[in-house]
Amino acid sequence: MFGLEFLQQEVQAMVSAGKLPFALYYEFVINAILCALIIGPVLGALGTMVVAKRMAFFSQAVGNAALTGVAIGVLIGESYTSPYVSMFSFCILFALLLNFTRNHTKMSSDTLIGVFLSISLAMGASLLLFISARVNTHILESILFGSILTVNQTDIAVLFVVSVLVVGTGYWLFNRMLLSSLNPALAHVRGVRVQLMEYIFVLMITLVTVACVKIIGAVLVEALLLIPAAAARNLNRSLGGFMLWSVIFSVSSCLMGIIIPMQFDIPIPSGGAIILSAACFFLITSLMRGFMPQFKEARI
Amino acid sequence: MGPKIQVTNLSLSLGNVEILKNINLTAEPGQVQCIVGPNGGGKTSTLRCILGQMPHSGDIRFEWAPDDQTRTIGYVPQFLDFDKTLPVTVKNFMSMVCQQTPAFFGLRKAYKESIEKALNRVQLVDKEKTMIGNLSGGERQRLLFAQALVPEPSLVVLDEPMTSLDEAGMEIFEGLIQELSANDKTLLWVNHDMTQVKRASDKMTVIDTTTVVSGLTSEVLTEPMMRGNFRAKSELTDSSTDSSTDLIEETAVEGAS
Repeated sequence: MFGLEFLQQEVQAMVSAGKLPFALYYEFVINAILCALIIGPVLGALGTMVVAKRMAFFSQAVGNAALTGVAIGVLIGESYTSPYVSMFSFCILFALLLNFTRNHTKMSSDTLIGVFLSISLAMGASLLLFISARVNTHILESILFGSILTVNQTDIAVLFVVSVLVVGTGYWLFNRMLLSSLNPALAHVRGVRVQLMEYIFVLMITLVTVACVKIIGAVLVEALLLIPAAAARNLNRSLGGFMLWSVIFSVSSCLMGIIIPMQFDIPIPSGGAIILSAACFFLITSLMRGFMPQFKEARI
Repeated sequence: MGPKIQVTNLSLSLGNVEILKNINLTAEPGQVQCIVGPNGGGKTSTLRCILGQMPHSGDIRFEWAPDDQTRTIGYVPQFLDFDKTLPVTVKNFMSMVCQQTPAFFGLRKAYKESIEKALNRVQLVDKEKTMIGNLSGGERQRLLFAQALVPEPSLVVLDEPMTSLDEAGMEIFEGLIQELSANDKTLLWVNHDMTQVKRASDKMTVIDTTTVVSGLTSEVLTEPMMRGNFRAKSELTDSSTDSSTDLIEETAVEGAS
């Protein structure tokens, strides 16, 4: 990762020259901020689609499945800190199975996701307790609630590749994916392969969720997909504004969640701090929507 | 010019339930073919088979005009399933349906004129910045008709699009249907309202799992055999068709005398 090392050296040089705050002298802080700048826009943008397609709890189910993935990884001898092969493999299988079941049973999404969410949580909890003797409890904690300050170059590389893939696919297929959820029959007439779009979308959510587990935590990653988009929806009446503000809220939440606990020495996990920052945006925008006349028009 | 559509012995079963059995109908360019029948009779399933969205047996043949390279189908669905607080404006929706570039980047110049023209035709041009969740039911139906007009279709398929329309909306729809028909487009139109069917269609097919009767609207409406058949089923399944069946009954009586 020559580019990353070069960036770190440049930032450190600027800190030494007094152009940047001293906190940025540390490699882990630079890594953390870099992660925030990558996942912020991706989760913010993808979140608008998750909200529009009413798939919020799907990523929660995948996040829980990641717990099982981690446990399997530890059992088969993968690294405790980055068991990506087992996490990606298990979560992708899990997501495809969920979507396949949904398509073939025609059961409502929320019921089916609820069932799969419970199963994945039960499996993850059982397996993690089973392996808990083998690993440090703090590692389990960081998987559950995130630990952005421990991300290494592999994590950043995985995150970067997944982000490029997801953003590229999302840009290319945005209209088709959204239309498929608004009216599948109309989408089909317009030449959209509706079922393929569903599979691609669940894969996108799965990849992003798994790549973000270490940073935000398996339990909380769904919240960062949902809350910035929900906050943006409070203020906007068009897709352009919805997307832009969702990205702004998401990036700001990530940066605030990293910088504020460091600056004020608050001992809370990065995932929790990021989600609490996002929750502040949601609270403020909800109040604005409720009480400010210019935003009331968006309310039904 | 629209395609000629010939449906022969179309049958559809889902599990052990027979949805359609030996449906036969023909739609010609420049004609409005209405499909009527009681709720659950298989009208929408027939459309979905014709659109290639359901596995079926039987033969569905499209004969497109040799000079029609685009073979565009405009489809007007019954409704949109969406969260009404979703910030999607009329313009966003049209961009989403018609262009490749993500709708949040706005409407591309190449589509601007055709989309404005379509919105103008359904009298929604002044609502292009309104969220689709804030439109009335009738306005949303008009929006769905507008998207079917971009790009200019050869075949227009309407699946009960007039359920939420007021008188003005119905006038707009009927005007558009007549205009498309006059331009040699083929129109397939599922409808419950027999007054509209009588007024605006050239041919009609009554479906109740099987084809009850099919032919020119003026002739079908006077068919004595469909009177009992369609009426009995409609009264059992759908109270909203009472007025329609009354009309069939009246017309049949007139025809008999």
